[in-house]
Amino acid sequence: MPTAIELLETRLGTDWSAIRRARAQTESLVGDLSSALVDLHDAAFSVVVTGSLGRGEATEGSDADWVLLVDGPSDPAHALLVREIGTRISNLVAKDVGPTGTFGDIVDSHQLVHYIAGTRDSNENLTRRILLLSESRALTNPLVRERVIRNVLARYVVYDRSVQSRSGRRQVIPHFLLNDVVRYWRTMASDYASKMWERRRQGWGIRNVKLRFSRKLLFIWGLLASFAGELFAPPELRQLEKDDEFYLRLAELIRELTDVTPLDLLARVVLETEDNDIADAIFTSYDQFLAVLADNEARMKLEAVRFEESLDDATYASLRDASQRFREGVTRLFFDAHPALKSLVRDFGVF
Amino acid sequence: MRPIGFSTGALAKGDFATGLLLQRVFVQIDAVELSALRDGELAGLVDAIPDLDLSRFAYVSFHAPSRLQTLDEETVFELLLRLPESWPIVVHPEILRTPALWRELGRRLCLENMDNRKTSGRTLDELRQLFDAFPEATFCLDVGHARQIDPTMVSAILMLREFGERLRQLHVSDVGPRGDHLPLGATARSAFSRIAAYIADDCPLIIESIVAAEQIEREIETVSSVFASEQ
Repeated sequence: MPTAIELLETRLGTDWSAIRRARAQTESLVGDLSSALVDLHDAAFSVVVTGSLGRGEATEGSDADWVLLVDGPSDPAHALLVREIGTRISNLVAKDVGPTGTFGDIVDSHQLVHYIAGTRDSNENLTRRILLLSESRALTNPLVRERVIRNVLARYVVYDRSVQSRSGRRQVIPHFLLNDVVRYWRTMASDYASKMWERRRQGWGIRNVKLRFSRKLLFIWGLLASFAGELFAPPELRQLEKDDEFYLRLAELIRELTDVTPLDLLARVVLETEDNDIADAIFTSYDQFLAVLADNEARMKLEAVRFEESLDDATYASLRDASQRFREGVTRLFFDAHPALKSLVRDFGVF
Repeated sequence: MRPIGFSTGALAKGDFATGLLLQRVFVQIDAVELSALRDGELAGLVDAIPDLDLSRFAYVSFHAPSRLQTLDEETVFELLLRLPESWPIVVHPEILRTPALWRELGRRLCLENMDNRKTSGRTLDELRQLFDAFPEATFCLDVGHARQIDPTMVSAILMLREFGERLRQLHVSDVGPRGDHLPLGATARSAFSRIAAYIADDCPLIIESIVAAEQIEREIETVSSVFASEQ
């Protein structure tokens, strides 16, 4: 069955080859990584990848952002396993996971489920939780990843309910989830500025471009997932008699979307508008972004470009222009073309 | 009141006679599952059935071996075929290696959803595939297994929505991280109460919690309370 992106490609008569190659590269690498870890299956944990692998956008130069997601009793052996997993992954994906410590470590589901907002929800915890929802994939035992996601969504959707309306109409938009999605997007944007300050703009170019494209795409996924009760709900959801079942099924509807890549989910919504210009603005520009990341030479230029020379650097300048087309396409989708999104953002997204 | 009782293996591992005896003193017990979880127990239990006094039980089912270790599939099948036709035969999917053979059991075959140690029959999709292969089979919802896979229990609700007409009995216990059957803890009770309303009033409750004799009555009360019928 063709994906939403493939249907859009056909409709526009275009060729988003970088998106397609990235998808194929992802499947190949995920297959290799899963095979390399197959003997490490365990009922209590899942090796989960996020980043480009989670989004289905891996290129030759991608790293493997991964965690050992534990949902069960603690065991000192987990620390030994992390080392073994790291070795096996680095044998297949040479690039390091980065200095922040957010990845390549044990993540206990307890914190993801219980520390949502409040003083104990660190930046790292927020990041891990939102990435788990928006761009994760299991290399081993997918049922553990699914189980943790269900528990996280239960917090957001089932246990956090508004005061019932006078009309008796149920709250379909989970405010808690939506607020956290927005909070994460603003945190990413602020963290970008913070990192540029701390690292004296080292790696500025590629971080800037990623913020404009893939980080923004995560926010878009989060908005669409938060609006799932209005955008994607089957008719029988609203007809459910019991409130408890309604909220459980709403959470499950959102959970199903955690298995859809952000780009695919965006494509589903774009398909509903029949607006080819919007589709072209969004996906052609994103295809251009992935094409640059897949080109080692262009990627290295992006990593090396200096802030003061940005507008004179052809690689950065063309991607900046593409990001503006991407933003324009998304903005038109949300505020002009789609029948529901504008009022959803107006009613729930700001105040 | 739903029929309620224990699986004999939960009260006395490998000893069905003791498992039955321990339940006889409780008037509220009117259901039983005769258990031959290890295939080595199967022949002895099947041979003993004609001499067992099961008259006080309104509901009787049979739990087939969970794995094939000392017996081959056909031998297990032939032994199970000797059971009274009215008894559901609760089966773990992994022993169903020759589907055409087991389809002969029709509605007697009662498929149980599995825990996270297994590789099939755990989720809604996996159960769909099983019921496609065994279209006449009935369903044993193991709520502990379901909760282990999905602690929110929405998967169990969806299983009941889709396979409710096949539902023959529940297995009830808490399930530990290593698949061990435990008495119902507080979070398990809370989770199971979420699905009680979706269970038919006459659906038998077969308790699999491994408890000592002195804990039997308390566990019956706990399970009865969690799954109290709506009057």
